[in-house]
Amino acid sequence: MRIIVALMYALLGTFLSGHAQEKGSVLIKHGTVLTITNGEMENTDVLIERGIITEIGQGLVAPDGVETVDATGKYVMPGIIDAHSHIAGVHINEWTHPVTAEVTMEESVNPNDINIYWALAGGVTTINLMHGSANVIGGRNETLKLRYGAGLEELPFEGAPQTIKFALGENPTRVHGQGFGVQPRTRMGVEQVIREHFDAALDYKRRREAYLKAKKEYDNRPKGIPPLPVARNLRLEVLADIIDGKILVHCHSYRADEILMLMRVFEDYGIEGYTFQHANEAFKVAPELRKNGAHTSVFSDWWAYKFEVYYSTAYNASILNANGITNSINSDSGELIRHLNHEAAKTVHYGGTSVEEALKMITINPAIQLGIDNRVGSVEEGKHGDVAIWSGHPLSVYSMCEKTFIDGKKYFDRERDDDDMRLKIDPEADYEEPARRWYEREKYEDSCLQGAIVRFGEEGMSIQQGSY
Amino acid sequence: MKLFRDSILGMILFIMIPLAGWSQSMPARALDNVTIHTAEGKTIETGTIVWRNGIIEAIGSDVSIPFDAYVIDGGDSLYVYPGFIDGLALWASPDLPAKYSKPEAPGNPGYERAGIQPHRQPNKLLAKADSFKKARKHGFTTAALGLKGQMLPGQIDLFFVNGKDTGAYLIREGIGLSASFEQAPGSFGNGAYPATLMGVMARFRQLWYDAAALREQSAYYASVSSGYPVPARDEVLEALYPAMDKEQPLFFKADTKEHISRLFRLKDELDFNVVLVSGKEGFQQAEELRKRNIPVLASVDFPEEPGWRVKEREGEDEAEVTEEMRRFRERQLQAYQARITNIQRLIEAGVKVGYASNGMKIEDLKKHIQILMDEGGLSENQILAMLTQHTADILGIGDKTGDLKQGHVASFTVFTRPFTEAEAQALYSVSGGKLSEFEITTSEKEDKAE
Amino acid sequence: MHTYLSIILLSCLSLVITVEPAKAQITEKAEFGKFAITNATIHTVNSGVIEGGVVLIDGEKISYVGKNAKITADYTHIDASGKHVYPGLMDSGTLLGLLEISAVPVTNDQAELGEYNPHVLAFTAINPGSVAIPVTRVNGVTHVISLPVSGRISGKATLIDLYGYTPDSMAVRAKAALHINWPSAYKQGGWDDRKPEKIKEEYQKNIKELNEYWKKAGFYNKMMNEYEENSSGKTKPDQNRQLDAMREVIAGDIPVIISVERANDILDVIKWTREHKGAKFILAGVEEGWRVAEEIAEAGLPCLVSTLYTPVRDYDNYQRPYQNPGLLHKAGVKVAIATGETENVRNLPYHAGYAAAYGLGKEEALKAVTINPAEIFGVDDRLGSIETGKQANLIISDGDPFEPLTTIEQVFIRGYKIPMVSRHTQLYEEYLHRGAVKN
Repeated sequence: MRIIVALMYALLGTFLSGHAQEKGSVLIKHGTVLTITNGEMENTDVLIERGIITEIGQGLVAPDGVETVDATGKYVMPGIIDAHSHIAGVHINEWTHPVTAEVTMEESVNPNDINIYWALAGGVTTINLMHGSANVIGGRNETLKLRYGAGLEELPFEGAPQTIKFALGENPTRVHGQGFGVQPRTRMGVEQVIREHFDAALDYKRRREAYLKAKKEYDNRPKGIPPLPVARNLRLEVLADIIDGKILVHCHSYRADEILMLMRVFEDYGIEGYTFQHANEAFKVAPELRKNGAHTSVFSDWWAYKFEVYYSTAYNASILNANGITNSINSDSGELIRHLNHEAAKTVHYGGTSVEEALKMITINPAIQLGIDNRVGSVEEGKHGDVAIWSGHPLSVYSMCEKTFIDGKKYFDRERDDDDMRLKIDPEADYEEPARRWYEREKYEDSCLQGAIVRFGEEGMSIQQGSY
Repeated sequence: MKLFRDSILGMILFIMIPLAGWSQSMPARALDNVTIHTAEGKTIETGTIVWRNGIIEAIGSDVSIPFDAYVIDGGDSLYVYPGFIDGLALWASPDLPAKYSKPEAPGNPGYERAGIQPHRQPNKLLAKADSFKKARKHGFTTAALGLKGQMLPGQIDLFFVNGKDTGAYLIREGIGLSASFEQAPGSFGNGAYPATLMGVMARFRQLWYDAAALREQSAYYASVSSGYPVPARDEVLEALYPAMDKEQPLFFKADTKEHISRLFRLKDELDFNVVLVSGKEGFQQAEELRKRNIPVLASVDFPEEPGWRVKEREGEDEAEVTEEMRRFRERQLQAYQARITNIQRLIEAGVKVGYASNGMKIEDLKKHIQILMDEGGLSENQILAMLTQHTADILGIGDKTGDLKQGHVASFTVFTRPFTEAEAQALYSVSGGKLSEFEITTSEKEDKAE
Repeated sequence: MHTYLSIILLSCLSLVITVEPAKAQITEKAEFGKFAITNATIHTVNSGVIEGGVVLIDGEKISYVGKNAKITADYTHIDASGKHVYPGLMDSGTLLGLLEISAVPVTNDQAELGEYNPHVLAFTAINPGSVAIPVTRVNGVTHVISLPVSGRISGKATLIDLYGYTPDSMAVRAKAALHINWPSAYKQGGWDDRKPEKIKEEYQKNIKELNEYWKKAGFYNKMMNEYEENSSGKTKPDQNRQLDAMREVIAGDIPVIISVERANDILDVIKWTREHKGAKFILAGVEEGWRVAEEIAEAGLPCLVSTLYTPVRDYDNYQRPYQNPGLLHKAGVKVAIATGETENVRNLPYHAGYAAAYGLGKEEALKAVTINPAEIFGVDDRLGSIETGKQANLIISDGDPFEPLTTIEQVFIRGYKIPMVSRHTQLYEEYLHRGAVKN
């Protein structure tokens, strides 16, 4: 018995430990390559070596030991990037305070979430794991590569800039104003919460720096009255970093007025390079967004689930795109993330965005918004080997993702797709999992936060899924 | 009432132990004709233990019993083990409130509501004295007692498990600080900051920063004669100073591989000492734990054995097993076995493993020891060492207790059979030299001596 | 500052304008009369594909389908060269018209209080002015089942088309089916902390209740039948609205939709339907139907299913939701697509597209949103295919309607040429080139 058990662990061990940031090499031959930044290239080979795309061309020969994949009749596109996701999260919302900039989703990553695998099966390689929308200034987000099986430390996208979640409108006013009787109760209050905290951050920074300087002087030469310590304050420190341009803002927003409000505030504090998330009414203020260089990341067609999205349109993305705004299509959902290609195709359906532009909305545009466009988002030499092979054009409903590579390493292969792809198993989990009603899947789930699903796991209760 | 029927023996012992500053020798006690198992794994047949003033004076098979020793004859049918040590027990802690009300401002709930109470001292709060009785009956003679709570529930005090009025049997207070990743109590409607794991991480940091600032202000204040603002006292932040100085380790509860990673991260950043408590998936971090020299007070609170397996073993017929079910079961079994062999794998990797009940019902211990023996890959000796000397070492009292040795504290339990056997019952418990006797019954077991 | 003020004013104004209820649904009147669609590729569903074909619409009905129509001058001519004509698509399970904004409870009319409500009618609460209706139909969805969803017996679903000023004019079948939520023998979600024994106990109790209700209704029906047949010498029994509402169900005049998701629950339902002969049953949801497809087929129960949801169990293959309709069909089950959606019922063609791609095939997938639901709800004499004499429910598209890149160019519902306008298109028209910042 002992021996069998030991053997089992040996096997289990190799499976679970994975290999830290393993980079792979592969030559993908004869595919139609959707480069995104350089058009569509037929019958083209893509060589990835040690995680990096080293050559794109015809008649490439695989270096020794490098596997060749035939993609004749198939499409090769960059891994899809989801600029708004809540899969792979332990907790999503530190909902308790209107401003929680000190928390970070980097510390809320669940590397074992099966949704990661399901997203890979839809050709997704990178996500923006976002904090929820309960707070005006929520926690920082974490850009992840979906290296399923590689473990907690290996998921973060190395070198990706920090981003942070803001949220305007119904969610923060409902949670704090309506729920707890603390500001903000209105969109007026939302603005002042932001301004007050930014002011406090500037004051803090000044006082903290003055104190550190005085302390250094005093500790060197104790003379006179010692300085009064100003404790390091994580929350204010992060806010000061936002003003200093070290952290990119991704702001949950819906209505045109609140979008304009934030742009005014940001102009006053000199904050640039931000993205409005959801932004169902962004189309109404496209010229202003353009003028301020703001980006948008929107749903393809979600609307009417709450009042602030009642006056919206599925043509949002197309209007924004036509007005020269860098727009991405996101999922905010474990369901939609499995077919973002199809969500992007809807921008063609609604408003006639070109196929080329539609593809950008799930590749290079979200990459720009996350500040990683120099590394991913297109098939280019020198970029990361994050690509997916599709059975047909990815904007067709009939096309299937067949293989997904991250850093040249294959993380999904439809041909070798097992039923049970869980990484971690709760030994006490039921064979039968909970049921749900077909007409209330995800969206109408009775929950604390719109669309947020309360889950109980080994790590406690959590609010998961969308935060729309 | 039973207590009053106790033998003279108990009365003698009562006056014997807690008195400090011995001026003269007190009468000795001896246990003769017993099988002695030491934590080191030695067995002494027909052995004798002599103790006086709470210290083992002599132990072995060839020991001469002093003239003034009161002797219990084991009649060659009793088994003596070093007293078990619970590395972190919550069984004497007051219970948490059943309900939490909605805080006025969930974002600023105050320390207590947030679960931040590092200043709380178990020796001032211990409730259920009867739990000590129960612990002795299960072989425990020493316990590090902590409090129920969340992020920072309080201090950990070390006790002999031998008195009704436990405060008097305090060995040492503040041997560590309890800590965990647990959020402030309550859920969405009535919770408070920190309500998430990431909030807890941030809160730990902020506490450390606040404590550092307060401490600095206090130091400056003390260093100048006048003109400097008086620091506000803050018992919570002040209670963190010893941890910041690494004088007091955090007894940090974490189970999953990921939580243990997060603990490493926090430790590296804030620089404190750690004893890992529970560590149910510690094996997945075994190498790192060894490298970092972090000991584990392991949980033996194993998951329920899969129901189908129990049925299968008992030959119960079951409905048709589909291929899908079979595969599901295979993986479930792997997961189950990974958990029950956790300790073995930690030990193999060279990690120091002690024991902590940390909320587990003491009645479940025997069942889980059986699992450890049958499928957990541990021998009786390994289990004994974990329950005794190794826990003592982790608690920093390994040179004084944990094993049956001359000069060690006289803490041991006398069982009717080897302790791993299902029918084994404790007959006597000696904790810090103080003896309790239990009635052996098939149904109800009563504590006799006090 | 002035700029900002004017922008704010402007956005407020635009809001006010769009709020105006008069324009909420019908932005232009639909045309009605005689239409000739020519040179089209006609996907009749029942009798193959006709290239270069003609469809004539005369009032509410299709008066001709074929290649050689004689088109008189009174027909409005629509040249569909290079275009495709399909029957209007039907979604077999939605909340459309009952629910406007899910987060605003006062706009939620899909869930009445109480466990047994066979007498409540979705038909009653259909809001013809729902903004989502035009949004839905311009994507090619012309018919929906809208169903009440609460309690054990939720009430009666209605089958409506998506054009009309009153529910009466929209209704194909005002009372299309009774809706039962099968009590699950499983946890209802992660929040459900009932012990297995408790779940089992409650499940049995719920089924017992349902059985007793059914028995009571059966008795009531029998009693009323007898009284109605010959009332002489009998005291008139008291009227019971709820049980009255069960009579047509028990008699099999209108079918019962049973929402059930889990494999073992489905098996229980099958057993239950066999014990309740006379009534007609349809399964809905059926997410684990693929696990017991043979049994469902053997029981002859049609299934209302969809594809765009995440796998039921964490250890399920990621494709199962996509494959479910195909696997059911393969076993011999009649399937129709039901999205369970409200404001995004317009995604029905994509649900069908995924089903097509993952095993159902394009032809069967088309049936699953046309003729199959028409047959299941007993209206295939009027809906579900392009045939002479059937209602003129048509879509004209530039390609496969399941493909998101395809444009739906024209929709006909009950002969009405629908204006291809909705709030979404209106906002597009208005804002695409809104103009400069100071506009």
